[in-house]
Amino acid sequence: MRRHLQRAWTACAAGLLASGLALSAAAAPAHAATAPSEIKIGTLYASSGAFAVPSQSQLQGLKYWAAGVNKTGGVFVKAFDKKIPVKIVAYDDQSSTATATTLYSQLVTQDHVNILMADFGSVLTSVAIPIAAEHHMLLIDPTGSGANFFTRKTNYLADISIPTSAVWPRVLGDFILAHKIKRVAIIYDSNDFDASQATTLKATLEKGGVKPVYYHGVPTSESNYTVLIHTIAASHPDAVIEFGYALNDIAFFHALSGSGLHFNMTFSIFPGQLLALLEKNVGTKALAYTFTYPVPPLVVYNKTNLGPNTAPFVKEWTAATKSAPNALDTAGFNTGLIMQHMLGTAPTFTQLAFHQALIDMSGKTTTLLGEFKINENGAQLGEQLPVAQVVPEGKGLKFVIVYPPNKATGKAIYPAPAH
Amino acid sequence: MALLEYALIGGILYGIFFSLVGIGLNLIFGVMRIINLAHGQFIMLGGFGAYLLARGLGLNPLFGIPLAIAGGIVIGYPLYYGVVPRLQKSQDPEMLSFILFFGIAQMIEAVAVFAFGADQRSLPQDALGSGNIGVLGQEFPDSWWVACLVSVLAILGLYLYFSRTRLGFATRAIMADRDEARATGIDVDRVSAIALIIGIALAGIAGVFVPYLIGSVSSSIGDGLTTTSFAIIIIGSLGNPLGTVVGGLVFGIGTMLMQTYYSSWSNLAPYALLLAIVLVRPSGLLGKAVRRA
Repeated sequence: MRRHLQRAWTACAAGLLASGLALSAAAAPAHAATAPSEIKIGTLYASSGAFAVPSQSQLQGLKYWAAGVNKTGGVFVKAFDKKIPVKIVAYDDQSSTATATTLYSQLVTQDHVNILMADFGSVLTSVAIPIAAEHHMLLIDPTGSGANFFTRKTNYLADISIPTSAVWPRVLGDFILAHKIKRVAIIYDSNDFDASQATTLKATLEKGGVKPVYYHGVPTSESNYTVLIHTIAASHPDAVIEFGYALNDIAFFHALSGSGLHFNMTFSIFPGQLLALLEKNVGTKALAYTFTYPVPPLVVYNKTNLGPNTAPFVKEWTAATKSAPNALDTAGFNTGLIMQHMLGTAPTFTQLAFHQALIDMSGKTTTLLGEFKINENGAQLGEQLPVAQVVPEGKGLKFVIVYPPNKATGKAIYPAPAH
Repeated sequence: MALLEYALIGGILYGIFFSLVGIGLNLIFGVMRIINLAHGQFIMLGGFGAYLLARGLGLNPLFGIPLAIAGGIVIGYPLYYGVVPRLQKSQDPEMLSFILFFGIAQMIEAVAVFAFGADQRSLPQDALGSGNIGVLGQEFPDSWWVACLVSVLAILGLYLYFSRTRLGFATRAIMADRDEARATGIDVDRVSAIALIIGIALAGIAGVFVPYLIGSVSSSIGDGLTTTSFAIIIIGSLGNPLGTVVGGLVFGIGTMLMQTYYSSWSNLAPYALLLAIVLVRPSGLLGKAVRRA
């Protein structure tokens, strides 16, 4: 009997020990057991096509960030309480939405990436949004800012490195109203990014009592603006606002400089992001006195609480790559920084926890792109863009921030001198 | 009224240039029944040739014209003898050429990306004149007029080639019936090779002006130009090179009118016209009969 009891106790103790071990194995060491050997960030880039230049810059910025964190052993992942190296899985969509659709799906279903990041711009981001939502993955959206993306609450979309395009032209609108410019022509590409900016600007101007004298869309593929500019001139505008991608801006400035026409104010988006590309194609003379959105690193942030300030970033980037960073390089890098913070604060390794981590840092974080502030729809409401003017300096051009007054580095030259 | 005039004159200039863009494709199809899907890529190469001459050597981009002709010979001759006779022997040369030239187009584009990168390149704005020339009070940049003039000369040259030279007669005979032409003693391969060279050279010449008419040249513009060229030659008449002029004019005027009055829909215009014309007149505006495939 005694021996029987002794056996029973031994069995019980062994059972308890075994279950205790099992429990402890399922608790703390579970992290180590399930932690991936690398954090796979899946994204796309365009080696060719209309978005190749900005897309490759964005990827370069991300790679620069990844190389930096991997040098220190990887990114800290709170859910596993350890650093894990980052691996970027990137496919070439050739600026095609059809190809991008297939490749985004491949990243999710075949490569099983841990984080899904969109390619540059609204056009190539638009096809990623439904795929991410369908697979319950958070889409990290660096530069897709079309206002239509952010019309309802979602856990699966976060606009990281560029404000939603509905916000972009507010300062521009205020600038136009402050300068009492009454005749405004707006020509825009018919895509989410540009059309939503046109809508916001029109609304802002109309609120201030200015009704645009010309307000028309053109196809995103538009490459000849000669007749369009002539049609715009027939409405006698003081300011011509052209919302397009870099390819459109090049064609627009070519046509404008060849037309012999002059407007008191000309605004376009990409001189502030890809000045070197624009300058190479249309020359400094055609760009002189153009107004634009200056995007960091042109706008300097000296008091960040996440990542480097602008100056050291520019210095380190230039030393590493032998060229100064442009806006899209910076956007790619900033996206990496935000993801790093997200992984470092999300308590579990799930997409919903990632999203919550982004919401938690919203309004409390300043990077070299400015204040990071997203709403429940995933729209970026921080990182506001001022208005700058491209002014001749020697043989080149420099940016002068002209509005709002608290950020201005100089006064606007209006009307712009004819050249 | 002034806007309408401007759109019409602009449309004619733009359309004549686009006749040049499309005419090489139509010539090659008319003579060889080959669908040259790499046509836009040959135009792109012409643009990059002019870019290299202008930016690299400081020459006027117009030197790109003889370069395009030389390029036509260097590319067209081996391409013909390496590919076309084999295609002609197949059961379905049109479909096979479709696939083969698609591959060639992709290869050219990949090589262009490798050589020139993915970004846009432009030519010096004032190289073809920095002023404007007016007609009926409507002014257009000098570069448009130069592009139009060169296009007219190239098309006129092609017309004279067809109507005044023995090679041109032989080319027309082959376009009418390849086998009968061979039976009458025409050296079909030699004449066809020359047609391919001319077709590629015309594409290259058009490429010289692409940076002026569509803003810039980049390695990815080829497919779009091929598609536009197809629309133009089908509007005019598939297989009839001179019908391309009509197609180009319809395309140019249609596009510019749409830009003036309904700009959002301007890139729809050529394809809407294409649909309408094919439905009403399947052989194209200048087609005499439905072509024989």
